[in-house]
Amino acid sequence: MNFHDDLMALSDKLAAEGESDRWPCPDPVNAAMIRNWTQALGDGHDWGETAPPAMIQVWSMLGLGAAKHSSPADEPLRRFNDNGYTGVVATNCEQVYDRRLRLGEVLRSSMRFGGIVGPKKTALGEGYFVTWYQTWYDEADRRVAEMLFRVLKFQPRVRKPSGGAKSGKYPLPPAINRDTEFYWAGVHEGELRIQKCADCGTLRHPPGPMCQACHSVDRTYVAAAGRGEVYSYVVHHHPPVPGRTPPFVVAVVELPEGVRVVGNVIDCDPAEVRIGMPVELTFQKMDDEVTLPQWRPVGAPAAEPEPEPQEPADALRIKLTPTFVIATALATRDFTPVHHDTELARAQGSKDIFLNILTTMGLVQRYVVERHPEAELAGMKVRLGAPAYAGDTLTLTGVRTDATTLEVRGAVSLGDHVTATVQLRENA
Amino acid sequence: MKGRTAIAGIGATEFSKESGRSELQLAAEACLAALEDAGLRPDEVDGLVTFTADANSEIAVARELGIPGLRFFSRVDYGGGAACGTVAHAAMAIASGQAEVVVCYRAFNERSGHRFGQANKSGGAANSTGLEFSWHLPYGFATPAAWVAMQAQRYAHDYGATSEDFGRVAVAMRRHAATNPKAWFYERPITLEEHQASRWVVEPLHLLDCCQESDGGVAIVVTSAERARDLARPPVLIEAAAQGSGPNQMMMFSYYSGDIGTLPAMGMVGDQLWQRSGLTPADVQTAILYDHFTPFVLIQLEELGFCARGEAKDFIKDAGIDLDGKLPLNPHGGQLGEAYIHGMNGIAEGVRQVRGSSVNQVPDVHNVLVTAGTGVPTSGLVLSRG
Repeated sequence: MNFHDDLMALSDKLAAEGESDRWPCPDPVNAAMIRNWTQALGDGHDWGETAPPAMIQVWSMLGLGAAKHSSPADEPLRRFNDNGYTGVVATNCEQVYDRRLRLGEVLRSSMRFGGIVGPKKTALGEGYFVTWYQTWYDEADRRVAEMLFRVLKFQPRVRKPSGGAKSGKYPLPPAINRDTEFYWAGVHEGELRIQKCADCGTLRHPPGPMCQACHSVDRTYVAAAGRGEVYSYVVHHHPPVPGRTPPFVVAVVELPEGVRVVGNVIDCDPAEVRIGMPVELTFQKMDDEVTLPQWRPVGAPAAEPEPEPQEPADALRIKLTPTFVIATALATRDFTPVHHDTELARAQGSKDIFLNILTTMGLVQRYVVERHPEAELAGMKVRLGAPAYAGDTLTLTGVRTDATTLEVRGAVSLGDHVTATVQLRENA
Repeated sequence: MKGRTAIAGIGATEFSKESGRSELQLAAEACLAALEDAGLRPDEVDGLVTFTADANSEIAVARELGIPGLRFFSRVDYGGGAACGTVAHAAMAIASGQAEVVVCYRAFNERSGHRFGQANKSGGAANSTGLEFSWHLPYGFATPAAWVAMQAQRYAHDYGATSEDFGRVAVAMRRHAATNPKAWFYERPITLEEHQASRWVVEPLHLLDCCQESDGGVAIVVTSAERARDLARPPVLIEAAAQGSGPNQMMMFSYYSGDIGTLPAMGMVGDQLWQRSGLTPADVQTAILYDHFTPFVLIQLEELGFCARGEAKDFIKDAGIDLDGKLPLNPHGGQLGEAYIHGMNGIAEGVRQVRGSSVNQVPDVHNVLVTAGTGVPTSGLVLSRG
């Protein structure tokens, strides 16, 4: 039998087996895990003595290195990996919440297999959709929640090496030596330092080891006052520059101290930049190590980065820093490498690490409860689209289509990351 | 040194977007073609000069050609600024008796291999060049087009030049290329409207302000004027050769002092060329000006004395840079139209113009000015009829 027929036979067999045994969740519903989760997701809702509903799957996650409970999806997933379908991406997650869980409750959980559909050609590569269900029960064996979960297992396309950008690192760090380290040390202390000759007092930028005026090698520096004027500028459109989103402005800025520096003009529409424009110093943190001195129009409001024009005022914007992606993956007890290990994520066909679906569920819930604090979630049907990679921004917007239904969209630069239908309980 | 050395041969591969062979093969093919053009055998070569940026060492090229020994080898730095400098080094070596026959070459797969137009990678060593880049790359200021655009913006602001003024250079180059069968853009002229409609690369530069990326190789054979007279082709005398680097010069970032709407290094080269040759701008019938990006063609016209500061836009409109203009520029189509071989294909065209053998021949050429890469330390030549 070939791989496909074999797989379909397995799918039918697993579906016929029905629900698995119920196994105990590792920990009771508890405040520590809830706090860890709400902090990682930025969820400020007052959940009182109960657990956020969207956290349901977290309770049955066994944790890193724990002996895995067998799942009806294990065997098909193993076969996919063995046959070149090594990529994985979650596509659907639908949860029904029967009731709110209270601190101290002990849960049990079971699985049942859904089915396999494919092969399908997708943007990521050829693959199969695999569906299974998970159910949670309380101590009285009453169902408290159920979930449909679907993943795409795909054959990763061959990807060219992507130019040396390290995981989560700003890809354009400066080289620094003993002649320039004072400058970058200053940047970390929030000042723009201009080299000054210790003998004749001549200022100079970019710095160098010997004074051009008197040939002294004794150097000190002054902190720039932080004002300047655009002497010249460009607006970069093409080609792509790693770590940058075009269009962006690069300018030569002339300082009243008498030197020129190069930097970006930020917090400003590129079309607004002009030669002679007064600008003021600001600092932009590019990653944990690289901060750049930058320039903004004098008096410009400290703008939210790149607000989209049509975006509703109540949009929820979340910067997907590597820390956010990793912290939320761990707070949801999801240790799958694609959510924290860049090299492995790439090896499996992804561009970078990306948000896990447990977090996406939690963020949809966060969007809803921040805007409707009175709402009680009855369930969520979530479709995942574009991956929400580290470095991107997730913008959640929504409309309430009727008294008990919200349609929520979460967009990233690649398109819709999530489209969700959220069901609220009546009279809540 | 005036007139004591000559270019005796020129050779090139085809110009393409994918050569399908190694850079060393391109270098060897170009050198062999240049030697055949001169009527010389590889075993008569005793010197090789190339760009610091070239990936093919002199000894590797010597091995491929079967050159038994080299008495002179050198490299010239600073990207395309090296082009005429290679001929200058060769001429100096010959004039001083260090060598008799020197081949200058440049060969690369600059489209199918490493593309100069892509964003430069960061993370270089903290040497003087790496540190220069470190004041710029972290800001995403990472491409030659962007580095040139910074000067072009200020130039346009100070002198009232417009994008259309830049575009007129591109249109002329593409018109020349359209009648040059060796040019990539053979039979593909453009209009000023098409220039204006082409997408932004880095404002104020449109796509059509930027030269091509090309695969190919070009070689130039230099020997003494005396020996050249006995060879296959009429000698093309090297009347003057010069290199230049300006105050506070950087690779392409000379923004930190003075008027950045100028190219002081090219001004220095021009001054030396006129002084050494005893010629003036009025004495050249055509000029090959390095055209990786259109704005620097305007500034070169000013630095070299063809017109006053800020008046290049009027010079181009009124006097003309077409084949029938007052100063036909880059009759082969330049790097915008023929190919980007780091300026070496321009030297070859200068030779053809003096020989009278160009497909776009300018009448009665006695003297040709050729320049190399701009924005970087650079070089230039005056080539004359023997």
